[in-house]
Amino acid sequence: MEQQIKSIVIVGGGTAGWLTAAILAADHNVDQGQLLSPTALNITLVDSPDVATIGVGEGTWPSMRHTLQHIGISETEFINSCDASFKQGSQFNNWCTNSADTYLHPFSLPVGIPDFNICPYWLPFLQQVSFADAVNAQARLSLAGLAPKQISTAEYSFINNYGYHLDAGKFSNLLLQHATSKLGVQHVKAHIAQIRNTVTGNIDAIITTDGRALHADLFIDCSGAASMLLGQHLAVPFIQQKQVLFNDSALAVQVPYPQADAAIASCTQSTAQPNGWVWDIGLQSRRGVGHVYSSAHCSDDQAEQQLRHYLQQSGVENTEQLALRKLSFNPGHYARCWQKNCVAIGMAAGFIEPLEASALALVEWSAKYVSAQLPLPNSLLSVAAERMNQAFNQHWQQIIEFLKLHYVLSKRSDHDYWHDHRESSSIPARLQHLLQFWQHKVPSNQDITHSDVLFPAASYQYILYGMGFETQQSAPLKPSQQKKAQALFEENAKRVQQLAAALPSNRQLLDKIRQYGLPPI
Amino acid sequence: MTKHVLLNSIEHLDLKVITDRGAEFGDNVWFTPTFPLEFRSVQAHYPIFFHKDASTGQFFSVAVFGFSHQENLFLHDDNWRGYYVPLTLRRQPFLIGKQVVREDGAEQTQTVIHLDIDSPRVSKEQGEALFLPLGGSSPYLDEVSNMLKTIHLGLQDNAAFVALLLEHKLLESFTLDIQLDDGSKHQMIGFYTVNEDTLAALPTEVLGQLHAKGYLQAIYMLIASQANVRSLLKLKNQLNATAAC
Repeated sequence: MEQQIKSIVIVGGGTAGWLTAAILAADHNVDQGQLLSPTALNITLVDSPDVATIGVGEGTWPSMRHTLQHIGISETEFINSCDASFKQGSQFNNWCTNSADTYLHPFSLPVGIPDFNICPYWLPFLQQVSFADAVNAQARLSLAGLAPKQISTAEYSFINNYGYHLDAGKFSNLLLQHATSKLGVQHVKAHIAQIRNTVTGNIDAIITTDGRALHADLFIDCSGAASMLLGQHLAVPFIQQKQVLFNDSALAVQVPYPQADAAIASCTQSTAQPNGWVWDIGLQSRRGVGHVYSSAHCSDDQAEQQLRHYLQQSGVENTEQLALRKLSFNPGHYARCWQKNCVAIGMAAGFIEPLEASALALVEWSAKYVSAQLPLPNSLLSVAAERMNQAFNQHWQQIIEFLKLHYVLSKRSDHDYWHDHRESSSIPARLQHLLQFWQHKVPSNQDITHSDVLFPAASYQYILYGMGFETQQSAPLKPSQQKKAQALFEENAKRVQQLAAALPSNRQLLDKIRQYGLPPI
Repeated sequence: MTKHVLLNSIEHLDLKVITDRGAEFGDNVWFTPTFPLEFRSVQAHYPIFFHKDASTGQFFSVAVFGFSHQENLFLHDDNWRGYYVPLTLRRQPFLIGKQVVREDGAEQTQTVIHLDIDSPRVSKEQGEALFLPLGGSSPYLDEVSNMLKTIHLGLQDNAAFVALLLEHKLLESFTLDIQLDDGSKHQMIGFYTVNEDTLAALPTEVLGQLHAKGYLQAIYMLIASQANVRSLLKLKNQLNATAAC
């Protein structure tokens, strides 16, 4: 029989590395919670004991619920050990006109999906009700600080769709424990001295400083921004995207709550600044706040001042005592994520500002994609690589266009930063075309040309109409469909009322989970 | 409204408790918690299912008396059709309280008897006396005390029972669709029972483990108790027929 790719070495022990290890192991080596013997794949993760993980990336998408359930971690354990809370979407403040404007991009899809696109039927009512409020209950409920479920809702089930806010360091530690104790992943703590090739240019082995050679059929580069295998060793070219998305710096800070029972926001707060924006994420024990900005438009000192001003505005006293951490990044991605017998996942494949918190979602997608190819006959290595690279590039193109959309639609004119974002030379051509179409027709799934999509049409609808984009529909609305939409609007309004009375606050539910745990069914 | 106070023989010396059954005393419930120690008595009359406590998400075993909120088909002319009344109803208006006491310098938690002083069962005129005229608890109060102890142990045991069922994935949710003689259809949701296929496929060592704790017997009594849904249906149809006359 032809040789199969069955042994995997993962380089890097951050969230990307451990998540990838756990997903591969759960897919191939575990049946109904029991480790198979022998296992189908041999998975080893190597990380350097003193390389600190970057530890940002504190927001996930709802896809993380399925991922965690699949790899066999109890949601109660996850929430309690990762300081996690529920995330129901992102709230964008001051993005439109910088006049206390706000809108929400919730995780729940509009009512009627997938059979019925309700958006055209909302347009006539845009003066009366915001799009997000009209088409799902989550907008009002999550902004009221209510949790997406009750204590009697089973683990990973929901009343309103949700992902998480989490402590990335604690999360990768939980994944490490789980992957090594339950999923049979080998953990090697060692520094990498050298990467050795075969005669064909594939990677043969990772040589550690203590002289060990870690052989594998496939190497997965989760080494973060260093991109040790894909970028450095295999020299895959990097495609910079700074000309589209200018942000390349961040200042991050951990903020304590004023008192132990302070409310926990159930949406990521994203508040636009003169030269960037501030993220604000509520965990159980603290907030994680950061200012991401363009170093070409703003000095670090200015950025720091604006961040401290934001913190004061949000009620934090003695902000000068809080230690800030500076991060720099080169926005962009590699031309390919899979080269030879090496796949890069996470920051080793690319990174862009965390505006829609797509980083972990892309890790999940990448790990699942690779996993679905395994075990792989050697002869299909380049075919699998080619297919994944194509999908990888489509995803990056969409992420970049979708993030850019937030800036293009802004009417802020207070600083060059915002003007520059609207310069047509900075806007990808396809996004410009889509924007022209959307002046006549609301976004639909036909606008998205590939499958397995990260942002469905609904996401574009939430952003466009949250930011006051104007669509002049030319097609007449059919009365029967208008009636159908009306019934859905009314049903949604009723649902908001019922759930407002039935849902606990985010904090209340998290406290109860600590006390009782969520029921497994 | 309820108001729970620690029972004591000074303030509560003259109090009596009405032990009749009736909706006015709060017996119009469609289910009440039960536990494996009581299954033998309960399964003779009522279906036993599991239900999640809305405020904790924890599973309770429950004896079911009706098909909808406030419907207790066993209450009839302010009487309980002569059957066994589960302890968690019979204990009313008493409940178990916890008190921290210092004993030999060490803190210990003791269980004590609390009384819902606002319960319509509490009276000065009629019912069972709590205390003897010259002090000391009445035989009724001794019985209550035993009942509360049994419930306390029973609910702890039930929690261990449920934990084992969950560990072996033996619980499943189900929907009970019923059709009454008048053709109306009703659906009961939010209840759980034992998955018999999973039970049948359990390895012998797990069965041995369940058996050693008496839970295997509890599981089979619980499964057999489902036949009592038919007697609930019968009572409901009778009730509807009488109402229609």
